[in-house]
Amino acid sequence: MSRPADTPASETPAVVPLTLDQRPARGPAIRRRIAILGNPNAGKSTLFNALTGLRQKVANYPGVTVEKKLGICALPSGGRVELLDLPGSYSLRPGSPDEVIVRDVLLGLQPDTPPPDLIVFVVDATHLDRNLYLALQVLEIGRPVILALNMMDAAEARGIRIDERALEEQLGVPVVKISAARGTGIGNLRRLLERDVEPSTVRFRRLPPHLARVVQRLETRLPRHELLPERGRHDLALALLLDDGEDDAIARAAPPEVLDDVGILRRRLDQLAPGWRSDDIEERYETISQILARTVLSPGETRDANRERIDRVLTHRIFGPLIFLVLMGAVFQSVFAWAQPAMNAIDFLMTRVGFLAEGLMPAGPLRSLVVDGIIAGVGTTLTFVPQIAVLFLFLSVLEDSGYMARAAFIMDRLMGRVGLSGRSFIPLISSFACAIPGIMATRTIDNRRDRLTTIMIAPFMSCSARLPVYALLIGAFVPNRWIGFGTLPGLTLFSMYFLGIAAAIAVAWVLKRTVLRGGKPLYVMELPPYRMPSWRSVLITVRDRSLLFVHKAGTVILAVSVVLWFLASYPRGGPEVSALASRIAAAQAAGDAPRATELEDEMAGVSLRNSFAGRVGRALEPAIRPLGFDWRIGIGLITSFAAREVMVSTMATVFNLGSPGDDVVSLRESLRGAVDERGRRAYTPLVGVSLMVFFVLACQCMSTVAVVRRETNSWRWPLFMLVMMNALAWVTSFAVFQGGRLMGFG
Amino acid sequence: MMHAPRGERETPLDRLAPGEQGTIERIVGDRSMVRRLMELGLVPGTPVEVVRRAPLGDPVELRVRQVHLSIRRSEAAQIRVTPR
Ligand SMILES: Nc1nc2c(ncn2[C@@H]2O[C@H](COP(=O)(O)OP(=O)(O)OP(=O)(O)O)[C@@H](O)[C@H]2O)c(=O)[nH]1
Ligand SMILES: [Mg+2]
Repeated sequence: MSRPADTPASETPAVVPLTLDQRPARGPAIRRRIAILGNPNAGKSTLFNALTGLRQKVANYPGVTVEKKLGICALPSGGRVELLDLPGSYSLRPGSPDEVIVRDVLLGLQPDTPPPDLIVFVVDATHLDRNLYLALQVLEIGRPVILALNMMDAAEARGIRIDERALEEQLGVPVVKISAARGTGIGNLRRLLERDVEPSTVRFRRLPPHLARVVQRLETRLPRHELLPERGRHDLALALLLDDGEDDAIARAAPPEVLDDVGILRRRLDQLAPGWRSDDIEERYETISQILARTVLSPGETRDANRERIDRVLTHRIFGPLIFLVLMGAVFQSVFAWAQPAMNAIDFLMTRVGFLAEGLMPAGPLRSLVVDGIIAGVGTTLTFVPQIAVLFLFLSVLEDSGYMARAAFIMDRLMGRVGLSGRSFIPLISSFACAIPGIMATRTIDNRRDRLTTIMIAPFMSCSARLPVYALLIGAFVPNRWIGFGTLPGLTLFSMYFLGIAAAIAVAWVLKRTVLRGGKPLYVMELPPYRMPSWRSVLITVRDRSLLFVHKAGTVILAVSVVLWFLASYPRGGPEVSALASRIAAAQAAGDAPRATELEDEMAGVSLRNSFAGRVGRALEPAIRPLGFDWRIGIGLITSFAAREVMVSTMATVFNLGSPGDDVVSLRESLRGAVDERGRRAYTPLVGVSLMVFFVLACQCMSTVAVVRRETNSWRWPLFMLVMMNALAWVTSFAVFQGGRLMGFG
Repeated sequence: MMHAPRGERETPLDRLAPGEQGTIERIVGDRSMVRRLMELGLVPGTPVEVVRRAPLGDPVELRVRQVHLSIRRSEAAQIRVTPR
C-alpha cells in the first residue's frame, strides 16, 4: 500500500534497485492500468465515479482524496481497464505525504504499483494556467496522456472558450472536453481510453543552458530504470538536483557516489546562477502563457460575482465568525429535533417486534437470546440511525458547497494560537463523522509535527459513533425544555461536542509546546469557488452512511450482542438463585403476587450480577465507582472497545436480562428507573453527565488506535494516545461527578 | 533571485490593502517555500490581488491567475510586489 509518510530512512530498504525489473509478468489477461491525475479539487474523483460507477468521496475543497483507489472501468468495446484514483497534487516536487503518493506512482518508485500505462490528466478548465503547470510536468516524463478538460459547464457559464484542437496540437496529446459532474463528454473519453495513445513528442522545457547541461550530465550517471522512459530519467535527475536530499525516495533511487556529485554541482550552480532553483518553474509558466495565447479564444469573465457576494457575508469580520457559530449550533439542535420523530417510530417498532417474537416463541434460553440479546441490542442501536442521517446531511452540504474552506480561513488564526494552522481544520471537522477518515485526511499536512499533533487530537472530536450514546443518555436524563435560544437536550449535546473541542485545543497546546515544538510551517490553502451542492450526491452520502451504520448493527453489534447475552446469562443458578426460586414458589403458593414479582425482580438482578459479564463488571467497579459508574456501566465500557455504539446495545441487553420476563423494555425508561443492590436510584442525571464526559474524552476505539499505528508507523504514538485520552477521561469524569455531588446535584 | 529589486517601489505584499493589486517581483525566504509558492503560479511578473483579510486579520486571501489562495500574513510579507 501507500508509503507511510513518516517512515524514518532507517526502516526502509536503503536502496531500491532501479535496475531490477519490478514489472510483474503480464499475460494477456492483465488489464491496462489507467491513472487519474490532476490538481486538487479538479474533479478527479467525480470522473472516477462516473467511469467506474463507484462512490469515492467527492467534496468541494482541495485534499479530499488522500489514498489511491482502484476501480474497473468498462469500455464501449466491452473491454475493461483498471482505473486508479489518486490524491490531487500541485507539483511533482511533493510537499505533503499525499503528493508523495502521486509522484511515486508516476515515477514507478512504489514497488507494489507498476507505473500506469495511460494517464488521464484532469484539468479544471476554469483555472487552466495553474492546472497546466502539473500537466506539463507530467507530459515531460514522456508517458501516454489524455487531457480531460473538466468543469466545462462552469467554464462555459463564465464565457471561457477553449480551442481543444489547438490545445491538442500544442500539447501533443488528445484533449477532450468533459463535465464529470454532469456526465457530458464521458462517452467520448471512454472511446479515447480504447485508443493507443502515444506519449507527447513536444519538447516543452527549455531549461536555461547552464542548468540543462548539468541535468544532462547527471542523467547519464543514473542507473537505467526499466519502468521509466528515457525522459523520466531526465526528470529524476532534475528532481535529485532540486530536492536537497530532503526526499528519501528520490535520494534512494540514486547510487551514493552520484549523490556526492549532486552536492558539488549544486554549489557550482549556486555561484554561477543564484536563481537556478526556480528557473524551471518560470520557464514552465512562460511556456504555459504561450500555449494559452494560442488556445484560449476568450478568457471569460475574470471575476466571479457569485463568489464575491457570498464571501462578503461568510468571511465578514463580524458576521463570518457569528454565522460559523450559529451554523454549528443549528447542526446539533437539528440532530435532535429532526431525528426525534423518526427515532420514536423506530423505537416503537422495535418494541413491537420484541413483543411479536415473545408471542411466537416458547419461553426458554432461545427466546431470551432473541428478545433480550438480539432484538434489544441491535434494535436499540437502530433507533439512532436518524441522528446519523441528519449529521451527515449537514456535513455533506457544508463540504459540497465550499463552506469548509472558508471556515478554515476564518479559524486559521485561532488554530495558530495553539500552534496549528487552518490545514488541520478539515481533518478535524471530518473527525466529527469518524476519526479514521479524519486521521487519514492529515496526509494533506506537509509538516510532520503539525500532522502528528492533529492526529493526536482528532479522536477528541465527537464522532458519529458517540452520538447514539449521547442521545441515549440525554434522552434518559435531560428534560426536554426550552432555555434561552435552544432546547436543553440540544444545548447539552452542543456542550459535549464543545468539551471535545476544548480538550483537543488544550492537548494540542501542550504538545506543540513540548514534544512537538517547531516553527510555523508554510500555510497555503486554495479557496474553491462556491458550488450548488448536488442534492443527489448529498442524499447518496446520507444513505450510504446510514446503511453503513445499519450494516454495523447487523454485524459487529449483532455479534457482540450474542456473545454478551451468553456472558450475561451464564452461569445460571447458584445457591442464591435457588434460595430465591423457592421463596418465589412459596409466595405464589401463598397467593402473594406482588411479593412474587418483587422476588422475581431480585432474582433476575442476582443472576446478572453472578454471570460472567457481571463478575467482570464488578471487578472493574472499584476503578469507576468514583466516577459514579456501577458494574453494569462497567460492562458497557468494556464492550464499547469493539465500537462505541456497542455501549447502547450492551446496556439494552444488560437491562433486559436484569428485568424478569422476556419483553423488551425501553432502555431510556430502564436507565431512569435502575436501582442498585440496596434499592436506591442507581443513575442520577449527574451520573449521565459524568458518563457522557467519559465518552467524549476516552479513547475506546480499536480501529482508531490501529490507524494511528499505521499512519505514524510506530507504536509509540497510539499508545501515548490511549493512555493520555483515558487518563484525561477518568480525571475529568471524576471531577464532574465529585464536584457535582459537592454542589448538591445527584 | 535573478530579478533585481526595482528600487523603493517594491513592497511586501502584506502591506497592500484589501482590493489593491501588484505585480510580483520576487519571493524571499526559505528555498522550499519559495519553490512552493512559485509552483502555485506566483512567479515574477504575475499580477496578484489582496482580496481580503480573515476576520482576525490573518490569514489573507490572494487572487493569482484566477485562483484564490489563503496565506499567512507573515508569508505574504515575503512576496515582494510593485503596487499598481
Ligand atoms: N460544475 C462542475 N463541478 C464539478 C465537476 N466535476 C466535479 N465538480 C465538483 O468539483 C468538486 C471537486 O470534485 P472532486 O471529484 O472531489 O475533486 P478531486 O479532484 O477528486 O479532488 P481531490 O480529491 O481533493 O484532489 C466537487 O464539488 C464536485 O462536485 C464539473 O464537471 N462541473
Ligand atoms: Mg478526489
